[in-house]
Amino acid sequence: MSNALDDSETETTGRTASQTTTTTAGESDERVREAWTDYDFAGTPKLSVEDLNVWYGDDHALKDVSMDIPENSVTALVGPSGCGKSTYLRCLNRMNDRIKAARIDGSVELEGTEIYDPNANLVELRKRIGMVFQSPNPFPKSIRENISYGPRKHGNIEKGLLARLFGRDDTEAEYELVERSLKQAALWDEVEDRLDDNALGLSGGQQQRLCIARCLAVDPEVILMDEPASALDPIATSKIEDLVEELSKEYTVVIVTHNMQQAARISDQTAVFLTGGELVEYDDTDKIFENPESQRVEDYITGKFG
Amino acid sequence: MSEGYADETTLVNAESNVYDRGLDAAIGLSVLTFALGMVTLVDAVPLNASGAALGESLVTVLAVVGGGVGIVGVSSWANVTPVESHRVRGIALGLVGSTLGLTVLAYAVPVTLATLLGLTLVVEAVAVATAGLASRVEAVDTGPNTSAGLLAGVVFGALGLAIGTAVGGSLVGFDSPAWVAVALGAGLVLTALTVLPREDVGSTVPAALVVGTLGLTIATAAVGVGWQWNPQSLSGGFTGGAVVPLFVLVGAVLSAWAAAKCRAGFGARGREFGAFLVINLNAFLMVAVMATIVVFVTVKGVGYALHGFTIGALSALVLLAPLLVVVANAARTPAGTSDWHTGARQLFRLLPLAAVGSVAAVLLSVLLTGDRLAYPFTYSVQVNRAQRSLDTALAVTPEPTVGSLLLVVPALSLSVYFFRSYGSLRNVGRRFEWVETARRTLPLAVAGTVALTGLFLLVGPTPLGLPLGGTLGLAVVVLAALAALALSALPLGGVLVGEGALADRAQDAATLFTLGVFGGLALLTAALFLQATATVTPSVGPVNVVPAVALAGAVASLAATALVARAKRRTDETLQRRLLGEETSLGLTGVAGFLTLLGLHVAVTKVSFTALGVSVANAGTLSWPMTMQTYVPLGAEPGGILPAVVGTVWLVTGATLFAVPLGVGAAVFLTEYAEQGRFTALVEIATNALWSTPSIVFGLFGAAFLIPRLGGDESLLAGMLVLGFMLLPLVLITSREAVKAVPDEYRDASAALGVSQWVTIKSVVVPAAMPGVITGVILGVGRIAGETAPLILVLGSTLNATESAQVLDGFRFTAQPPFVANDALLSASASLPTQVWAVIAAGVSGSPSMGWASAFVLLLVVLTFYAVGITARTYFRRKLTYE
Ligand SMILES: Nc1ncnc2c1ncn2[C@@H]1O[C@H](COP(=O)(O)OP(=O)(O)OP(=O)(O)O)[C@@H](O)[C@H]1O
Ligand SMILES: [Mg+2]
Repeated sequence: MSNALDDSETETTGRTASQTTTTTAGESDERVREAWTDYDFAGTPKLSVEDLNVWYGDDHALKDVSMDIPENSVTALVGPSGCGKSTYLRCLNRMNDRIKAARIDGSVELEGTEIYDPNANLVELRKRIGMVFQSPNPFPKSIRENISYGPRKHGNIEKGLLARLFGRDDTEAEYELVERSLKQAALWDEVEDRLDDNALGLSGGQQQRLCIARCLAVDPEVILMDEPASALDPIATSKIEDLVEELSKEYTVVIVTHNMQQAARISDQTAVFLTGGELVEYDDTDKIFENPESQRVEDYITGKFG
Repeated sequence: MSEGYADETTLVNAESNVYDRGLDAAIGLSVLTFALGMVTLVDAVPLNASGAALGESLVTVLAVVGGGVGIVGVSSWANVTPVESHRVRGIALGLVGSTLGLTVLAYAVPVTLATLLGLTLVVEAVAVATAGLASRVEAVDTGPNTSAGLLAGVVFGALGLAIGTAVGGSLVGFDSPAWVAVALGAGLVLTALTVLPREDVGSTVPAALVVGTLGLTIATAAVGVGWQWNPQSLSGGFTGGAVVPLFVLVGAVLSAWAAAKCRAGFGARGREFGAFLVINLNAFLMVAVMATIVVFVTVKGVGYALHGFTIGALSALVLLAPLLVVVANAARTPAGTSDWHTGARQLFRLLPLAAVGSVAAVLLSVLLTGDRLAYPFTYSVQVNRAQRSLDTALAVTPEPTVGSLLLVVPALSLSVYFFRSYGSLRNVGRRFEWVETARRTLPLAVAGTVALTGLFLLVGPTPLGLPLGGTLGLAVVVLAALAALALSALPLGGVLVGEGALADRAQDAATLFTLGVFGGLALLTAALFLQATATVTPSVGPVNVVPAVALAGAVASLAATALVARAKRRTDETLQRRLLGEETSLGLTGVAGFLTLLGLHVAVTKVSFTALGVSVANAGTLSWPMTMQTYVPLGAEPGGILPAVVGTVWLVTGATLFAVPLGVGAAVFLTEYAEQGRFTALVEIATNALWSTPSIVFGLFGAAFLIPRLGGDESLLAGMLVLGFMLLPLVLITSREAVKAVPDEYRDASAALGVSQWVTIKSVVVPAAMPGVITGVILGVGRIAGETAPLILVLGSTLNATESAQVLDGFRFTAQPPFVANDALLSASASLPTQVWAVIAAGVSGSPSMGWASAFVLLLVVLTFYAVGITARTYFRRKLTYE
């Protein structure tokens, strides 16, 4: 089991055994991989991605990725640095549209509706699919304003003189929302009495949790998280992990992580990307970690390669 | 001394030896020489002063130096700002010592300042050379490189060339080519002397030679005060008065550089310290030039500008109030643990309070004793081409009257100040059902009053002949005022009535505080504006209702605040203290707010209001003829330049209102929306070109293009537009940079929350770019406020105007398009820069002293705009960052 490319000859376990008997190594690898990423689950997918390709200029960053993401579950994306995890994540709420150099080809459906439809409403889409970025990016505003920013701009919370004059002041609702979101993100106890201070005064880890709270305040259906715990200490990390598990009851969570134990702990299914922007294997988390189809995946997970 | 930075602290704190002390003294002497060079450059002390006259000037310098070093020394000794570096201490001592020495010399020896400076340079040259040679013979421990370097060589070569040219020229004359040989020789010798020997010699001996030569030239009066050189090829010439200070400056910089290198032991650290000192002297020069301009204009103009300045003591006290509050708050800040150093720190915090407090005490004594306080002085005017001196005085009169605007401005700023220190009194205090009801009905009441105000504003107080204003308006004003009275009494009532200790009652009354203060202020403000548009002034006997309610509100709030503050002192509970602190802030907001309304009422109705012998009036408490009067053509006193001040303020305001929205809008569009490419590049080039366009061209454009389209006459509006066009490119450029500098992360974060691009720009990008935008506006306003050339062409600049532009009163609504007309905007106006230009440069009638005074006022106006800009920028910056 030394040569990763020759997996197909030796790997005989798993539900795709019938396909591993083909002769030409390259071709078989291609076909087998498709099968390994063809993960079946009961129920309808929340997001279904079909033949997704991304180029940055001439750089082919994501190659023919297809995967269905089940509803109300946690999907972990793992893989070595630079393999395209963030790129893939950004495709799911069309944040890649904001990068000039990026060219995207393929299809992503949210509950059966194509999000790359030219007529799709980006603002609505991103309300439904929230995102937490790899590096914390709070607004230079107070903690409270950071949280209530989204709902306020969506018109769910009305404040200010006019709202007050018409008796529609939602200050009370805003305070409740801020408290609830911050508690969800395990930040409330630390910032309870400095809600009106500037968010840039928080530590990096606190800022990241604030960004999570800010995302939750909009109440999205899908939450995309790009290494949300990379700047956190073990205690805060475990709080975030608890939060993610909690969230998966109501939300669909897609989370990028470099921490294999974390992926194993919190996710229901795991997708492994390897260098070059390929999705190599996608399956139940237990399956990936205990008995991966691909030699390369096994090597990566056990730390031999990456 | 070894190389490297690791032992910088040991070097800084190391005990200094005699060599170090001597060099510190030399650096101090050089710095002093530099300062004196600048003093002579601006002619503050004549170069040929000597004896007691010179001594007196040097005593002034000694006082300045000694005072500065003394204050730093005392605060260092008290450990407020500890100065530990031996270098800094040594240089400071050297500075004081050399100033003292020069002063004594000036009294003792009958030489002129020029000679004294020359001799000083010679002494510095000797000191530097000695230090360098001492290092060369290893008498002291230094770490020099092998050479002083090519750059130093080139600089000294150029200096040698210049000196050689001068010496050669005066020895053999410029007719024979021999001077070229002398010049080249001197240049080469100095370069070689710099580059070839080891660094300690290479950077001291050439410097000593140059400095010594310069010093000897001045000391021997080879180039003295009366010296004159008129080269044939130039129409002008050089005089000793200009050249000697220049020599002194160059010599001082060179010797300071060389001495600094010696002091730091040459090598990398030597270069660093040398460069550091030279750069600092340059920065000092820049500050000095700025200060000189300000001081010069002030000295020339302040006497005339302040003639007849009189202020009522009470008005002055009111103006002082915000300052008093700020310094008192600063003094209250805890100084930390209680050893005596923090005590000293506390003392330094208390000093400003003491200063402001003593001024307040003087004003109060004027008020109480009824004695006028006056500082008499004379100023000169020109009458029939002859200078005449007039007597006048700065005075504080014991009037118990406050000017209405003099009350509004400080009271409003205090109200905002206290409001900002108030956090939020949420979810505390007892809940009363009726409070909630009142809270809900209040907005409706205010909205109704505002709506009625709008109606009267649009159709007048008697629409269709119905006297609505006198009946409905009057009734609503009275009702609103009474309601405001009741509301404003709520906090006091809440604190007084109820159960438990004072602190507990005050805590329970939290809901009453917010409702009472905010509700009372809102209702009374609405009533105030309604009565202005309905043209009614309800009164009970001689007392007007609205200001009486305002006064009562202020008194009630003050009483409630005093009680709460007392309760706060007594309570030990941290949370309750904080809560009561918030209530105090809120109460003070109310006091200042109600006083603002009182002042506003007087300003709007022009009827003064008196209570208990103190009155708020529209006129008579401040007299500043220069800025508050128009020109008096044939009066005994010259009058003032109010029309020019008004003109400049309107010009700047109009230009800013025109250019800032346009510039910021364009910047946002170009950065956020437009495809970056040819078009944006073109716009960028055009903007930069517009910024470099000479102002007179703007003026020509205005005269030839705008004026024919704006009624054909020179006008204020044309001036505003032209200045606006000049301001536009700078605002556009700086705003674009500021918008570009907003991190993309903010935009991404906002987009990912499902917020549209436009809303993102409005609520994230523009606020984050605000400080940068304001910086651009500050710079631009500074430029246009003093702009003269275009105004000469488009403003119709009236000289010594006797009428100011009535822009606000000039608006009329018309039935035909464009529906709004304003004659004041379309007629000529005066402005400060054109006034200065006409009086001084063009020599039109009027005295030069009046020109200087106008320039002084112009400086004040520009600095005021500047202060407003800086305050706004600080405010936005604070909002963006954590303190
Ligand atoms: N804005 C961009 N412009 C050009 N190339 C990009 C851009 N963003 C990403 N890339 C390239 O695309 C590839 C995938 O990047 P991506 O950020 O998706 O990696 P990643 O898997 O998230 O890595 P990491 O774990 O380090 O965050 C990399 O080779 C990267 O250089
Ligand atoms: Mg990434």
